Amino acid sequence: MQKGDSSRIILEEYAISNAVEHSIVQEGEPWSIEKFAENLKVEIIREGDNGRELEFDLIGCAPALANAFRRILLSEVPSMAIEKVFIRNNTSLIQDEVLAHRLGLLPLRADPRLFEYPALPVSEDEDASDQDTLRYELKVTCSLNPHPRKDSRRPEDIYINDNVYSRDVKWVPLGQQAEIYPKGEEQLGVLESDILICKMRPGQEIHAFMHAVKGIGKDHAKFSPVATATYRMLPEIKLTKPVKGEMAERLKGCFSPGVIEIVRDKKNGPDDREARVKNARYDSCSRNVFRHNDLKECVQLTRVPDHFIFTIESLGALPPAVLFLEAVKTLKAKCRTFIEEIDNIA
Amino acid sequence: MNAPPTFESFLLYDGEKKIIKEQDSKVPNAAIFTVNKEDHTLGNMIRNQLLKDPQVLFAGYKLPHPLEHKFVIRIQTTSDYTPHEAFMHAITDLIAELSLFEERFKEAIKEKKDGLD
Repeated sequence: MQKGDSSRIILEEYAISNAVEHSIVQEGEPWSIEKFAENLKVEIIREGDNGRELEFDLIGCAPALANAFRRILLSEVPSMAIEKVFIRNNTSLIQDEVLAHRLGLLPLRADPRLFEYPALPVSEDEDASDQDTLRYELKVTCSLNPHPRKDSRRPEDIYINDNVYSRDVKWVPLGQQAEIYPKGEEQLGVLESDILICKMRPGQEIHAFMHAVKGIGKDHAKFSPVATATYRMLPEIKLTKPVKGEMAERLKGCFSPGVIEIVRDKKNGPDDREARVKNARYDSCSRNVFRHNDLKECVQLTRVPDHFIFTIESLGALPPAVLFLEAVKTLKAKCRTFIEEIDNIA
Repeated sequence: MNAPPTFESFLLYDGEKKIIKEQDSKVPNAAIFTVNKEDHTLGNMIRNQLLKDPQVLFAGYKLPHPLEHKFVIRIQTTSDYTPHEAFMHAITDLIAELSLFEERFKEAIKEKKDGLD
């Protein structure tokens, strides 16, 4: 690959030399959907063990589209979160509003596709429709443990309920919900059981009811269905000259683990080490090689501009693959309303 | 407190139009579309799609102010085409692209699943 290769973004020591070429749409054949279909590829690379993480490649699309997916995932794919907290009693150290905020941030297991958006503004009264609201209750009282372990002074031994965890938040059916969701607690409960909400001492009590509604991340980050959704371009590393011996070891150290491997070849003489690029995919593109004057002559770092490594980390209410499809659907729905609107203004 | 309501960024006010079109009086075949309650997500995507159209001479978008939830997109086309048509085509093309994404992604997921079994 020479310097002027326009199919790659070239990372140099102090700049990206051909950034301008890639900041505008490439000239060439006129765009057509057939051509796009030919070039577009989606490959699933890795799924997390717990089913909450997904890494896939989008090949042959514009950065504007990849970015649109990311932005939509973060802020416009709906999820359920606690929106109203009705506090009956709170004698704990945490103030009502702070407690309400903490409760609002608890991730819920409920599938947002089963519910409607609430009418805005969300009603202040406690009777709500079973179509758009989920009700939860938190009732915890802290007391002295009547049978404490001998000689122990640890709070968990001498008190009962001194820590309030998210598992204490219990789902309460509203209207017809008990019949519609027979496995309510597993299906609609709190996602993580061990989130510490508050600490208490004997005599303190929290009793609150909560209403969860469907919302989007633009309204509040608690409605965002993902922990993160990111993309990056595929890195590519080329060795322009053979790197041998001690230099090979140094080169290896300049990149993320697993990127450069050292092969031994008897033909290379007594010091038979030589560096090879093993897998550039997981390189952090730190450009550390440029600190070594002898090494920087031997490598060229580039990125593939239309190859996106997309990572979605779901909170857990929906699997990441479903979230991506929801994002595409949301975008499509937006485009459709655009078409209608443009028709109207003609 | 004088914080604006959080839903301001995505809900249209009563009687507010989603898209407003304004003809550019200085240049022929140019129009400025103001799209309410949308941001870079769609702005950049649509502009990018418009630029792929050989009959579009100019397409650019901006968010006039970070606290105003709208973007402005200016389109200038060749004389045998209107900005209106260009906008329309860009969005139909985008829908086609998105459908393709959906399809390919589902295929990829299915392949991955079949590979595991």
